[in-house]
Amino acid sequence: MKPGKDRDTGTGNEQSMEKMKGSQEVHDLSRRRFLISGALATAAWPGIRVLADAEMTLPFANGGRPLVKYPQKRPLIRLTARPPQLETPFSVFNESLLTPNDAFFVRYHLTNAPPPRDLLEPERFRLHVSGRVTSPLTLSVAELKSRFESVETVAVLQCSGNSRGFFEPRVGGGQLGHGAMGCARWKGVRLADVLKAAGIQAEARQVLFNGLDTPLLPATPDFIKSIEPDLAVNPELLLAYEMNGEPLPWLNGFPLRLVVPGYFGTYWIKQVSEITVVDAEFKGFWMNPGYRIPDDPCAAISPGTTPKRTVPITRLNVRSFITSLTPGATVRVGETVTLRGIAFDDGQGIQEVDVSEDGGRHWRSADLGTSLGKYAFREWTLPWKPLQAGPQTLLARATNRLGQSQPREPLWNPAGYMRNCIEPVEVTAV
Amino acid sequence: MKPLRSLFSFATRLRVLGALGLASTLALGWAWSEVPVEPIRNPFAGEEWVLPSAQPSLRPGEGAGLVTTQCSLCHSLDYIATQPALTRAQWTAGIEKMRTRFGAPIQTNQVSALVEYLTRNYGKP
Repeated sequence: MKPGKDRDTGTGNEQSMEKMKGSQEVHDLSRRRFLISGALATAAWPGIRVLADAEMTLPFANGGRPLVKYPQKRPLIRLTARPPQLETPFSVFNESLLTPNDAFFVRYHLTNAPPPRDLLEPERFRLHVSGRVTSPLTLSVAELKSRFESVETVAVLQCSGNSRGFFEPRVGGGQLGHGAMGCARWKGVRLADVLKAAGIQAEARQVLFNGLDTPLLPATPDFIKSIEPDLAVNPELLLAYEMNGEPLPWLNGFPLRLVVPGYFGTYWIKQVSEITVVDAEFKGFWMNPGYRIPDDPCAAISPGTTPKRTVPITRLNVRSFITSLTPGATVRVGETVTLRGIAFDDGQGIQEVDVSEDGGRHWRSADLGTSLGKYAFREWTLPWKPLQAGPQTLLARATNRLGQSQPREPLWNPAGYMRNCIEPVEVTAV
Repeated sequence: MKPLRSLFSFATRLRVLGALGLASTLALGWAWSEVPVEPIRNPFAGEEWVLPSAQPSLRPGEGAGLVTTQCSLCHSLDYIATQPALTRAQWTAGIEKMRTRFGAPIQTNQVSALVEYLTRNYGKP
């Protein structure tokens, strides 16, 4: 879907989205790109070398990964090169509650991603708002900043498939450790204000978001996500242009991305360039059958089975992590250490974090740090003095204000989404 | 673990302080040496926006060439190499998804060769 093409289409069926995808010219460009990249791949194949600064291993089978330096990033755990998928090394989560921009994870879906820089220059990039609106809009980022109030929110962005590599039985898909999450201070304008300026019409059924990333093949569905109008006009949703006080990194959506606090990252469209209000339920691939979970309160079914009914993935579930000690660490008997970690949920607010030093027989309540906001990572700490030598299993379990918590045993679904069980950390006291 | 704002926003705030005048800048001189001279506020400044392109090759074996050609059309081969040992049914479902959902130009008579290679080299019987 490129700017200037068929943006006034106001229906949500697949034909209209096909039109939104763009003109023949766009497809020709894609073909040229494909020929070039194909030629490069062939030419470079035999002698190709991964330019990795180092390698590391995630703690599951076939977990070997290179650490690779990308623009505006420190070396990150690379899952895939094309399109780029980079994971944050877990130690980063023990360094600060706000995940630094240069360590923040990256997840793209389509071949032509991230979009090239020339499409993102201030004089070129535009956000289009169209469809079932009274006044269609075309706005530069500068116009967004000048026309609408700027607001900030601290919120966790987590990939639906974060921790997928730990699923048992294993499932296909991006084999992520726990590093496809991060917490940042997002600054932007309220989506609600922009939609109010455009004027959503009464027939609106869904609001669609598309970014400038594109598929290689015309037959591949563009990455378009839809939300209900009620959610779209929630003042907490932002069209963000800054992250932790800096412009968004290229790989995190520069110059503009959608921020949907409390929702999984799949809705946080990067390089968002088109907002289309439609009068029918959107049926694009990335809403159905993509990014769906079993229609069950726990989003879970018996391992290895197929769900009878599915619904789109939406809100984050409760998670917590121990960040100050990693599995395999050694602690000293009789010496007090401060256990530390993070907890988060979908914005209900973390009420309590309980910690067990003996594999779950006894639990103690941890101290919660200052809240950076209900959608943010919440720090917790608890002093611990190991009293006897030997292996110890540390557990952390968060509970939110609704009483929602984390299961001791992992739940399973076929797409490997929403893992939120207690994550044991085995250490040895000596 | 205190919430940290980035060095750059810290620097930005210091620069605002700097607007108080040269004298105060000199007075604070000892602190300024700790701060980047010109924070990268312009994302188009600094390093080039070029992606590393390297990717691993697949395990050698019958069908490796076909898999390489077909799969690397749209994505790097680490998508395959990082998968756990998937069953034949899982690899078949993956190929079908690429063919029918994503429009990959895989001929029906190529499917069995692709599945055979992937199951043999990246799967479990």
